[in-house]
Amino acid sequence: MNLRDFRNFTIRDYQDLFAKGELVPRELLTIFLERIREVDSLLHAFLFVNEDRAFARAQKLEEEGRDRSVCPPLWGIPIAIKDNICTLGIPTTCASRILEGYIPPYNATVIERLEAAGAIILGKTNMDEFAMGSSTENSAYGPTRNPFDLERVPGGSSGGSAAALASLEAPLALGSDTGGSVRQPAAFCGIVGLRPTYGRVSRYGLVSFASSLDQIGPMARTVEDTITLFEIISGRDERDSTCAPYPPFSRAEIPQEEEVRKMIIGLPREYFSEGVDSRIVGTIEEVLKGLEKEGLTIREVSLPHTSYALEAYYIVAPSEASSNLARYDGVLYGLREGGEGTLQDMYFRTRTSGFGAEVKRRILLGTYSLSSGYYDAYYLKGMKVRTLVRQDFERAFQECHLLITPVSPVFPFFLGERTKNPYEMYLADVFTIPSAMAGIPALSLNCGYVDNLPVGLQIIAGPFQEGVLFGLALFLEQMLSLPLPLPEIGQQRRS
Amino acid sequence: MPGHVSLEEVRKIAQLAKLSFSEEELTRFFQDISDIIAHFEKLNELDLEDVSPTSHISWSQPPMNPDEPVDWQGSDLVLKHAPCAAGRYFIVPKVVEKEEKLS
Amino acid sequence: MEGVYVTIGLEVHCQLLTQAKMFCRCSTDYIGKTPNTLVCPVCMGLPGALPVLNRKALELAIKTALALRCEILPEVVFHRKNYFYPDLPKGYQISQYDFPIGVRGVLEFALEGERRKVRIRRVHVEEDAGKLVHEGLGVERNVSGVDFNRAGIPLVEIVTEPDLHSPEEAKECLIMLRSIVRYLGVSDGNMEEGSLRCDANVSVSLSPDTQGAKVEIKNMNSFRSVFRALSYEVERQAALLREGKFPVQETRHWDEVRQVTVPSRGKEEAEDYRYFPDPDLLPFRIPQDMLEEIKATIPELPLQKKERFMREYELAEPEAHILVQDKDLAEFFEACVREFPAPRTVCNFVLTEVLKNLNAFNMTIRESKVTPGMLAELLRMVERKEIGISLAKGIFEEMFATGMSAREVMAKKGISFLTSERDLEKIVRQVIEENPQSVADYLGGKDKALHFLIGQVMKVTKGQANPEVVKNLLLRELTSGE
Ligand SMILES: [Mg+2]
Ligand SMILES: [Zn+2]
Repeated sequence: MNLRDFRNFTIRDYQDLFAKGELVPRELLTIFLERIREVDSLLHAFLFVNEDRAFARAQKLEEEGRDRSVCPPLWGIPIAIKDNICTLGIPTTCASRILEGYIPPYNATVIERLEAAGAIILGKTNMDEFAMGSSTENSAYGPTRNPFDLERVPGGSSGGSAAALASLEAPLALGSDTGGSVRQPAAFCGIVGLRPTYGRVSRYGLVSFASSLDQIGPMARTVEDTITLFEIISGRDERDSTCAPYPPFSRAEIPQEEEVRKMIIGLPREYFSEGVDSRIVGTIEEVLKGLEKEGLTIREVSLPHTSYALEAYYIVAPSEASSNLARYDGVLYGLREGGEGTLQDMYFRTRTSGFGAEVKRRILLGTYSLSSGYYDAYYLKGMKVRTLVRQDFERAFQECHLLITPVSPVFPFFLGERTKNPYEMYLADVFTIPSAMAGIPALSLNCGYVDNLPVGLQIIAGPFQEGVLFGLALFLEQMLSLPLPLPEIGQQRRS
Repeated sequence: MPGHVSLEEVRKIAQLAKLSFSEEELTRFFQDISDIIAHFEKLNELDLEDVSPTSHISWSQPPMNPDEPVDWQGSDLVLKHAPCAAGRYFIVPKVVEKEEKLS
Repeated sequence: MEGVYVTIGLEVHCQLLTQAKMFCRCSTDYIGKTPNTLVCPVCMGLPGALPVLNRKALELAIKTALALRCEILPEVVFHRKNYFYPDLPKGYQISQYDFPIGVRGVLEFALEGERRKVRIRRVHVEEDAGKLVHEGLGVERNVSGVDFNRAGIPLVEIVTEPDLHSPEEAKECLIMLRSIVRYLGVSDGNMEEGSLRCDANVSVSLSPDTQGAKVEIKNMNSFRSVFRALSYEVERQAALLREGKFPVQETRHWDEVRQVTVPSRGKEEAEDYRYFPDPDLLPFRIPQDMLEEIKATIPELPLQKKERFMREYELAEPEAHILVQDKDLAEFFEACVREFPAPRTVCNFVLTEVLKNLNAFNMTIRESKVTPGMLAELLRMVERKEIGISLAKGIFEEMFATGMSAREVMAKKGISFLTSERDLEKIVRQVIEENPQSVADYLGGKDKALHFLIGQVMKVTKGQANPEVVKNLLLRELTSGE
């Protein structure tokens, strides 16, 4: 077996090989570890490769044997985890210097569920520091590069997970999405990423950025694998008050093909306006034509508050972040600087040296929005706009089953291209933020290539309508039959 | 006044957030933040008078814990990895303020 | 003080009597525990950990608000209060802000028998912080240690309107508040152990029409220090005003050693706590059945009980006042009266002997081994004149110390039933027989001889007989022989 054989594999294919005895977990793990050794010095998708523990676990799984009747769905499958998800005994840094060397003494709920499902934690992936960014350039440990073009960003903040999947360093990954951090890198790297309904996946153990927006999302190379992963990580958790008390997602929620063909797809006109790369609009329009041919109805709808969502997001998210990041003060864990001076010295020096520029910017912004005298002008206003954004979607879903939009208005940009102007970087999330603000599910799917760069298509659904969403995603994936990514890392020319 | 932030305000906010900046950095962050806040002006186009705020996305009653204690065994690990601990205490520079801060 | 107008408001924090902490499952039983053992990712604020509300903490807070006749707000909302302090692991405290559990309540109490009222502004629930220690194993002189065992224990915060007008009133109000939280079983209200903490706002003016500067007093660790600190502060502010100066609005600390208030080491600028709704905790409506269930558990409160005792048992106000301060004592009294329906007698005995013994052993009535039934039996024996009251007091002391019943104590001490009236008659006759000379002396007019005979009877009974009864018996026997 070698890596190229796996290009079009789904988890089921690996399980078949395991079942036939043609592959064992250690072999599979070794192939991915070798791939990481081969390309990750160029990509820098991983912050930590969990080699020893992963190997021990694979060995243990082999020794226990594979019980065919009750085989857990991810038995022996390596998975890459974004570095803001707590892993017991495995460093978790959020790509921040302030958590350098931090080893959580507990597992996130999703990690417990993955391990119970037989998965092997392959390593921790790079990200924008505390998930604040859209390019993975804000990592304290250096940026991740896009496997399709090393000069370009993989998107962010789950850029490490997306790059690891696109380059087949890992067959599965977890990311987190606050304003688009699963979907935008998925689009930039040509893979699949789901932002679930807020509350459908436990946040327990996900290091908080903006609690009312953060969601862990499954990332994979195929819709099929995204579903498999989502089934495992979703469902109630008594340890997260914001987690909806409903059972895990089930495949039974996915409609049949005939039902998908009867669907009405909404096209929010605000998402196809000026400022979107015409080649992206063109690619998506081709897809829409295809869908119409297959019998689906395409209808234009309006989400009038779309352009306000971005501003509201950059009030709400930094406000929550400024509070969530107050705990990094040098007392209990992580970095401490200036511990020989006064208490105030310790606070200022630890936080000043531990956080990067974007994190500081957002802490300042959030502190400002919440401070006395500005709460009503900013934070309260942000929350009110959030209501309007939600209502936009509620109205739209009275007219259609799902919405289709671009994920990003632009193609993967070059490293350094947008770092000078923070607001320009914020614009990269303009199409992923509204659904995050509304708490509804959205999925990013590769729908074509332009000049060897993937184009992401976003499907947005109503709350808890992931089944419907997957229905269309599976349909589209089959209709488009695009080759799964396996770019030649380091062979590209700068265009 | 909303829409405009002053350098002094940014200085004050930095104090609140326990971040220190050189004058040069402060000016740069002030510039960035002014730019971003200027964009927030756009929200004034909307009539938000009668709109209720969305602070949370909530689909149902949240779970509650029963009043039954459960032991957690990981405190030794936390102390072991702490930046500074001694004799089972987390150690910080001397807190001079006598005040019980909680109020 | 003449011509001095005092306005006081209280802010009281009580630790709620839950088994587990407010947002995690750690035990709240922290007193005397090894530092940082009753902790978990949630109450240490580890990255990624999330709070889940303890249902009981909410119930106890609602119960407190209901008992203080508050309006219960239909929605439970938690806010974050942001500030940095080493005992605050998350950099914020989860508290309540514009939607407290209850608002607009009333607390009634009595000052020298007179009913007083203070309006309750709000009752809310929040989490406690950890504890800073400045000495202890590993804590060198130049550092502080932090123990998070207390972090996350639920507190109820009760804020009164500034309706109190003297330190005496403030103290009585606080005592009543403690009594109420104890009645409700929501807190043990122990100021010395810190499970009840009180801050006060004091303003003084020389005219009833003007409002003085609001000065906040902290660090008062007993009812006595509340009284003394407030008295000191009223005097201090009044003296300033008389000199034509004005007190500044500030926070001051009660210095227990020097018995003065001193300005707090001031933060130059006022804190900006940046309250906002905690996004980790969803707001929710209090279920109606939960509210009804809690209502049903609220017992008769001290003031009502006192008035009933005065009415039903014809007790004087001061007596009833003492009896009802401790719910257990009041219940002990009532249970005793049920078995021995002489409230006056029971009250006297409880307020003297029972309290004396409790104080001597530093015990609460709940801890005492004497049941109401046991006391009733003892009092019945006194009533039947089987024993005298001084003997009864001695027996009670023994009962209290050993947990034995009155009869058991008597048996053990060899008092047996010798001292019962019939037995006593026998002894009296025997003493008369054995002391003919004294009998003759008495009959011959020497009153002293009677005292000798009484002494003889007392000697035989080992001092356990009621001398009054003995005297009467002797007189009866001696005169019947004539
Ligand atoms: Mg408080
Ligand atoms: Zn805990």
